[in-house]
Amino acid sequence: MGSDGKQLSRRHLAELERIVGKKGVRADPTARSAYESDAFMLQRASAEVIVLPRTTAEAAAAIKVLREAGLVVVPRGAGTGLSGGARPVENGAIVGTARMRDVLEVNAEDRYARVQAGVVNVHLTAACADAGLFYGPDPSSQTACTIGGNVGNNSGGPHGFKYGSTNRHVLGLTMVDSSGEVIQLGGPGAAGDGDLDLLGPVVGSEGMLGLVTEVTVQLLPRPEKVETLLCLFESLDACCDAVSEMIARRLEPSAIEILDRLTIEAVEASVLRAGYPDNAEAVMLVEVEGGDEEVDATSADVIEVARAFGAFDTRRTTDPVERKRLWAGRKGAFGAMGRIAPDLYVADVVAPRTRLREIVSAATVACRERNLKLANVFHAGDGNLHPNISYDRRDADEVRRVLEAGRIIMEACVAAGGSLTGEHGIGLEKQDEMCLVFSDDDLEAMDQLRAAFDPDAFWNPGKMLPVRGCREIHTRPLPVHSPAAEGAS
Amino acid sequence: MSRESLVDHARALDCIHCGLCLTTCPTYQLTGSETSSPRGRIHLMRAVAEGRAEPDATFEDEMNFCLVCRHCESVCPAGVEFGAMMEFSRGALLERRPPGPLARLARWVGFRGILVRRAGLRLAAMGLRAVQLLRLDVITSPLLGLRGQIFRNLPRVPSARERRPLPPVTEAEGPARGTVLVLDGCVMPELFGRVNRAMTDVLAATGREVRSVPKHVCCGALHAHNGELNQAEDLARLTIAQFEEVDGSAPVVIDSAGCGAHMKEYGRLLANDPEWRGRASAFAARVVDLTEELASPEATARLQERLGDGHGIEGPVTWDDPCHLCHGQGVREQPRQLLDLVPGLERVEMPGADSCCGSAGIYTVLRPEDSLEVLDPKLESLESTGAKTLVTANPGCHQQWQIGVGKTGKGVEVLHLAEVLERALKPR
Repeated sequence: MGSDGKQLSRRHLAELERIVGKKGVRADPTARSAYESDAFMLQRASAEVIVLPRTTAEAAAAIKVLREAGLVVVPRGAGTGLSGGARPVENGAIVGTARMRDVLEVNAEDRYARVQAGVVNVHLTAACADAGLFYGPDPSSQTACTIGGNVGNNSGGPHGFKYGSTNRHVLGLTMVDSSGEVIQLGGPGAAGDGDLDLLGPVVGSEGMLGLVTEVTVQLLPRPEKVETLLCLFESLDACCDAVSEMIARRLEPSAIEILDRLTIEAVEASVLRAGYPDNAEAVMLVEVEGGDEEVDATSADVIEVARAFGAFDTRRTTDPVERKRLWAGRKGAFGAMGRIAPDLYVADVVAPRTRLREIVSAATVACRERNLKLANVFHAGDGNLHPNISYDRRDADEVRRVLEAGRIIMEACVAAGGSLTGEHGIGLEKQDEMCLVFSDDDLEAMDQLRAAFDPDAFWNPGKMLPVRGCREIHTRPLPVHSPAAEGAS
Repeated sequence: MSRESLVDHARALDCIHCGLCLTTCPTYQLTGSETSSPRGRIHLMRAVAEGRAEPDATFEDEMNFCLVCRHCESVCPAGVEFGAMMEFSRGALLERRPPGPLARLARWVGFRGILVRRAGLRLAAMGLRAVQLLRLDVITSPLLGLRGQIFRNLPRVPSARERRPLPPVTEAEGPARGTVLVLDGCVMPELFGRVNRAMTDVLAATGREVRSVPKHVCCGALHAHNGELNQAEDLARLTIAQFEEVDGSAPVVIDSAGCGAHMKEYGRLLANDPEWRGRASAFAARVVDLTEELASPEATARLQERLGDGHGIEGPVTWDDPCHLCHGQGVREQPRQLLDLVPGLERVEMPGADSCCGSAGIYTVLRPEDSLEVLDPKLESLESTGAKTLVTANPGCHQQWQIGVGKTGKGVEVLHLAEVLERALKPR
C-alpha cells in the first residue's frame, strides 16, 4: 500500500473492490506508478489508489468510500492531457473513467447523444455516423481522449475554429459531488428552463468541481461537401500573415492549421506520414465545409490569399482517404516529436489572429537564446498556438530553460491581448502564470465559486488556481496592449 | 543482472507519453487500466531501468499480459518499436527470474523438444490425434476449466496423409515466372498441411516453380515473442543457412503471418552479430507474405485467368487481419484485393478487423482466460457482419477462430486465404 502519506486501510480497499470489482482497483505501487503523470511529463506524483468504476452508481459509491478513507480525488479520463490536470496529488486517489465507455443513447431526431464520460471522442462520432451526424470538437488526441476529459478541459481541436470548443456542445451532465451524491445539470431539452446555468462553470473546471460521469452533447449534421487544402510556403512568417489576412477578409473555413518545417519532418518520418512536401518551410492545412458552391467559392478565396502571400504550391482534395491521411499527420504531430527528443513541452497559448507572426517570432527568439529545439504547430484559425519545445527531462538545466521559454511565450501572448490556454487547461503547468492575467480579487472570486461546489477541497486540489497568492509569486497582471492603441502608435 | 539490462532503455526514450496508443491495445480495452496499456508498459520499463520502480510480480505480469499484437506500433507517431522492446524485457525477465521447475520443464519440452524438431512435432500431433479420436479431449475438458474449452475446440489433427511434408519441388503451370521458396513451418504441416499445399498449388498456378526446404523446421518466432532470445538467434542463423542452401536469391514466400513478420526482422535480431548482420538483412529482404506475392500485377493477372466461381465457398466472406500481417508487416490491402478477385464471392468488412483475436502465438495456452476475453468482442463483430466464412492467414488466428466459432455454435467456416484461392482455381 501507499508508502507515503495516508494509508488506505484493508477495509476500505476491500470495500472499493466490492463496489467496482477486483479488476477496477489498482493498489500496488508498480501498477499505480503508470499513473504518475498525464502527457505533461514535467511533474510526477504517486496516487494512493486507482479506482476504475463502470457506472455512475459505482462511481458515487466509490467516492463515498474514498472520502471516508480521508483521501481526495483526482478525476482522470485517458490521461492524454498536456497540463498535468489529471496528475495525482498528495493523499489522493485517481478515479478514472476508462471503463465507462458506453454510448447510452443517440437521438437522431433531436440530434443529441448521451454517453458515459469515458467514451473516446472518435467513438462518439463513429456511433452517430450512420445517422449522418457527428460530434464537433476534435482534439488532436481524439483517437484516445475521452468526452469526460474534453469536458474537464473545454477541449477544442482544429475544427474549433468553426464549431467552437466543448462548452458549445454540452447540453447536460451527470456528476458525482463531494458527498457522493449524483446530480444532474441541464439535459437534452433543458435550455432556458429557468434553472441556474451551472454547465458553464463545470465545463472547463479541470475536475475541480466534481466527477463528471455522463455527458449529453449536441450532434451536428455532416456537411454536404468537405474539401481539404494544403498550401505550401517558403516562410513561416508569410504563412502566418496569410492566416491573418484570411481572418481579416472574413473567410470562414472550418479549420486553419499551420505546421512548420521541423514538425513536417517529424510527421513525415512517422507511420502517419501525410505526404506533406519536404521543400516547404511551412504548411497550411485548411478545411472548407458546406454546400457545393459555398465550398468552391471559399476554397478559391483561400487559395487566392495564400498565393498572394507567397504560397508556391497549393493542393486540394475531397477524397475521404486522402483527407484522412492529411489530418492524421497533423493530429499525430505531437507524438511524432518523440523522434527528436524523449520529452516534449507543448505550450498552449492564444493570441489575437492579427499577431500570430509576432508571437511565433517571440517563441523562436526565446528558444534560440536558450539553445532549445522549437517546432511550431498550431490552430492558426482561432489563434491557438502550440509552440513545441523538445527536451530531455533527465537534464535539469534544460528543463529549467524550457520552463523559462514557456513563460516568456505566455507573457508575450498575454501582453498581446491573448490568453494562457486555448484548450489544454491550466492544470499544474500554468498555475503561477494565472497571475499574469488575473488579479488576487479575480482569483479569490474563482476560488469562491470552486468552494460553492466543493467546500472541502476534495476534488483535484492544488490545481489551476495558484496555491500561493500572486503577491507572493511577485507577479501582477500584465498591461494589455489593445490592438486599437497599437494601430494608432 | 543490472536494471538497465532488463529493458531496452534507449527504445523506451522514443515514447513521449502522448497516449494515442491506448485505445488500440486489447488489454487496455479489457481492463481500462493504463498500467495495462502500451504507454503504461513503456513507463514501467523505463521506471525499472531508472530505478524508480521494482521489477516485481506486477511488472512481470504486465509484460506477460501483453499479447504483442503490435497494434500500438501502427498508430505510434514516434515510431516506438514496442514489439522489440517487449521481446527484450521478456528475455531479461526469464534470465532474472527463471520460472519454477514445472514451468521450466514445460518450456523446455515446448521450445526445445517439440517446436524445433520434426520428430517432436509429429509425436505431439499423433498424440493429440489419438486423444481426439478417443474423444479424451471431450471427456477431460470439464476437469481442465477454460483450458479444457480450448482443448476441446482445437482443430482436428488431420490424418497422416494430410500431414505429409510438401514436395521439394512443384512445377510451375503455364509460362514460368521463376522460383520461390516456401516455408513448411513447425505447426503448419501438422495441423494445417492442407493450407501449405493450397499455397503451393496457387503459387504454381501463377507460374511459379515452388521449392520447399525439407531440412527446415522452425523460424524461431515463438521463441522470440516469449523471451527465448538466444535460441531465437540460433534458429534464425539455421533458417538462413538452410534456405540459402536451396536457393540464394529467390523470394521466400510465407503463409503464416507471425513467421513472416519475424523473418522480416532477422536483420534486427542479429544486429549485434557482425558475422551474420549483413547476411540476415539480405535474407530478410527476400521474405514476403503470400498475399504480397500474389497481389503483384503479374501474379494477379494469372490468377484472374484461373479463378472461377464453382468454388462452393459460402458468402459473404470477411477478412480478419492477422496482427502480424497488418501491424507487423503493414500488409492490409493485398488480402482484400485477392478475395475480391474470386468470382461470385461477396466480401464484407468486419468492424475492428485489425484488432487482436487473442491468439497471439501460445498466449491461448498461457493465459486462456485473457485470450478468450480478447476474443469475445471479435466474435460479436463477426456476428454483426453476417459472414458465413471467415478468412485469415496465420495458424494461431485460424485455430483461435475455430475455438471461438466452436464456442458460439454458429456454423461459420474458417479458412486460410490460400484455401479460398485454391478452391476457386478452375481445373486446367
